[in-house]
Amino acid sequence: MKKTGFTTSIPIEVLLAAGRVPVDLNNLFITSERSQWLIDKAELEGFPRNICGWIKGIYAAVLESGIREIVAVTEGDCSNARALMEVLSLKGISAIPFAYPGDRNRESLRIEIEKLMEQFGASLEAVMEAKTRLDGIRRKVHEIDRLTWQENLVSGQENHYFQVATSDMNSDPDRFEEEIEGFLQAVVSRKPFREKIRLAYIGVPPIISDLYPFLESRGARVVFNETQRQFSMPYGITDLVEQYRAYTYPYDIFTRLEDITAEIEKRRVDAVIHYVQSFCFRQIEDMVVRRQLSLPVLTLEGDKPASLDARTRIRIESFLEMVREKS
Amino acid sequence: MRIGIDLGSRKVKFSVVDNGAVVRLADYDTLGFYKRFGRIVDEELSFDLAATGMFAAEELASAALVVTGYGRNTLDFKGVKVVSEIRAHVAGAVFQTGLKDFTLLDMGGQDTKVALVRGRRLDDFVMNDKCAASSGRYLENMASILEVSLEELTSHWEDPVPLDTTCGIFGESELIGQILRGHPVARLCAGVNQTLVKRVLPMLRRFPSPHLVLTGGVARGGAFVRMLEAETGSPVIVPEHPQHNGAIGCAVIE
Repeated sequence: MKKTGFTTSIPIEVLLAAGRVPVDLNNLFITSERSQWLIDKAELEGFPRNICGWIKGIYAAVLESGIREIVAVTEGDCSNARALMEVLSLKGISAIPFAYPGDRNRESLRIEIEKLMEQFGASLEAVMEAKTRLDGIRRKVHEIDRLTWQENLVSGQENHYFQVATSDMNSDPDRFEEEIEGFLQAVVSRKPFREKIRLAYIGVPPIISDLYPFLESRGARVVFNETQRQFSMPYGITDLVEQYRAYTYPYDIFTRLEDITAEIEKRRVDAVIHYVQSFCFRQIEDMVVRRQLSLPVLTLEGDKPASLDARTRIRIESFLEMVREKS
Repeated sequence: MRIGIDLGSRKVKFSVVDNGAVVRLADYDTLGFYKRFGRIVDEELSFDLAATGMFAAEELASAALVVTGYGRNTLDFKGVKVVSEIRAHVAGAVFQTGLKDFTLLDMGGQDTKVALVRGRRLDDFVMNDKCAASSGRYLENMASILEVSLEELTSHWEDPVPLDTTCGIFGESELIGQILRGHPVARLCAGVNQTLVKRVLPMLRRFPSPHLVLTGGVARGGAFVRMLEAETGSPVIVPEHPQHNGAIGCAVIE
């Protein structure tokens, strides 16, 4: 089956209905053993130093993987994706644009999804069938999320992994579902975590590899992964267009904050880590986040794939100390 | 008796505190100190403090050692208590100033930290990240380009030549360009001090509070303090031992 890459979550129901193998290019890049090298490769080809690492990583990962067709999200994520699409087209890769309407207008979003269906020759019946199939898997991932914050049986890293993987179902829904089921069976016999500090992780998924275990080694566990949870389409909405309207990630920060605030309260979160990518427009939104959230917020910045550096470790440790003293 | 040690990027600072009073302060260049007295044994960093000649044998035998500073969380220390830099600095500033509520600006060799202290406790903080252009090391570089001492550099505040480059290294070539334009050294020095003020202001604006306390090696520069006061419109409190604040904090922390 033909692989189709995408730059951030899109209605993958359409890809599955069209018999394509969905590949989240972010996952392809970050799980590569040579992720750092991929960035170097993109920079050698001319990508500026001060451009987001994900864009550079995706560029080189696409060329490495042999994927010939991608969907680039040109609105709702960053405008770098548009230029990425352009440079990839120079390499003969076919790039299909997809735009989340900035105003969350239902009609505009419906047209966008229909354009995508037309592009891939996917019928509405096949798309809805794919949605039913995916929703079954998503529900199981929602259970993993519940077991994270309500039963305290799942680590922050595991919660991150299963939810982030829902963006492309690890390119193999059946195998991914088996993995989830195996995990769900094993996890219930665990002893619950008993950490002192409960954290929310908000922002794009981290480019840093060892954040979650480091937090846990310091007595703090992430019980809410904002964006990753959004990838899993957490609201159980049956209408396809509504589902992607409710999905907060591609829309404004205030929409995201409504979801964040509600979850923070429900999950009894003590403090928030706001992760921002170097050179990303979302760094500006940190100002809004800090103003609107009443909990302590630590803003972490990541640039390239790496483990936590000594300075970031110092900042995290000091932050956790402060949270501990306050509570 | 307690000995506080602050392992800075440029200097290692020591304080000896007994019965609530600072008995002695000392410092040593970081690299030289690590080379001469530091050793890693089984992933634990140990210092031969007796060999430094800074402490009497009975002091080392009886005093509790508390350490903070760079690299402290990548290595374990043998037989000493380790605290985070931010806590050490807050404890030092509370001890030295006697204030309960204030904003602390600590500017060291590489780090700039801003902490909001309420009721003598750390309430929130920010640190520079990814870039160390607003640091003591930057001042040292600029002083060497201008061929003046650090004391000279940090004494000028009048009529600064505007310097715009955000990078501490590109800033060097910008400064060279301004030297060629014939600006007097005093105005160039003032320009360097002003860039420092500009870089810390956004961090300070996050935590407005009635008092601003300045610590770290940069606090020794009179011009910086004066320009910071002009920009913030309020007096800047520099404790008696700004550079040893972290080490004092280690020795007094609860």
